Amino acid sequence: MPFVSRTFVKAGMVYFVLSLIAGLLLEIDAVSLPALMPLFWHMLMVGWITQIIFGVSIWMFPGRNREEGFVNQKWGWLTLILLNSGLVLRLIAEPALGYSEAQIWSVLLVGSAVLQVAGGTTYLIEMWPRIMSKKQQRKKRKRRRES
Amino acid sequence: MPRPSRWMIRCSFVYLFLGILMGAMMLIHKAYFIHSAIWMLLPIHIEVTIFGWIIQLTLGTAYYMLPRFLEGPSRGDSRLAYVMIASLNLGIIFVIADSLLSFALPFDLIGRIFELTAVGLFVKLHWNRITTYRTS
Repeated sequence: MPFVSRTFVKAGMVYFVLSLIAGLLLEIDAVSLPALMPLFWHMLMVGWITQIIFGVSIWMFPGRNREEGFVNQKWGWLTLILLNSGLVLRLIAEPALGYSEAQIWSVLLVGSAVLQVAGGTTYLIEMWPRIMSKKQQRKKRKRRRES
Repeated sequence: MPRPSRWMIRCSFVYLFLGILMGAMMLIHKAYFIHSAIWMLLPIHIEVTIFGWIIQLTLGTAYYMLPRFLEGPSRGDSRLAYVMIASLNLGIIFVIADSLLSFALPFDLIGRIFELTAVGLFVKLHWNRITTYRTS
């Protein structure tokens, strides 16, 4: 399992625990935090499920570059960094926007949206060419060996 | 990777991108007002990310990765797999159309029936593939 996939899965597990804590808080009437419901769903669906899908697909789908390192796995690492920084920004800015109207929280929330779109895009750049038939896979391997 | 899996996984990637774009627009709208109709995107965002992205990707990957039959077509009747893909995607489109426009027909119900058909076909195609190759 490549390092980038291990990091995806471990980060996903952290979000899984955090999302269930948020789910628990949602059930306690005495606790009232702004934007807790969307944060619960996004930590669960983006932080956990999407992130574990990203990590496992980068590892298991055909056509993976087996060389480790940032340069060899750049789209995977960029996805990890962009997606997680976007999600962390959201976890900070969205509740903060409920407490304060300071401009900084709005800017951070927009930054979160842009980072998550960028993270999804880099994932697709990595994965789209790897969705191929056995025949295409063999041709790709042959080309790689020849070059 | 067999063709039905490639189609499903590529479709799921398209839905992922659309889902993220819609989510980003709603998130930006929370910070800076874009348009009052933006929240119409919420049910579509949910449908696209859950059925279009997560469910479609898992079904496509399962079709590729689960154990294959040792005799006959290795993944069963591929025509059923194409009907499954068409049915799931038609279902998603019908549910989305119902969220966007009002029709005389209950498009959401029709969409869910298509999605149920797709899941039924998925179960039919894969039930006997949940097996082991070990004889003892």
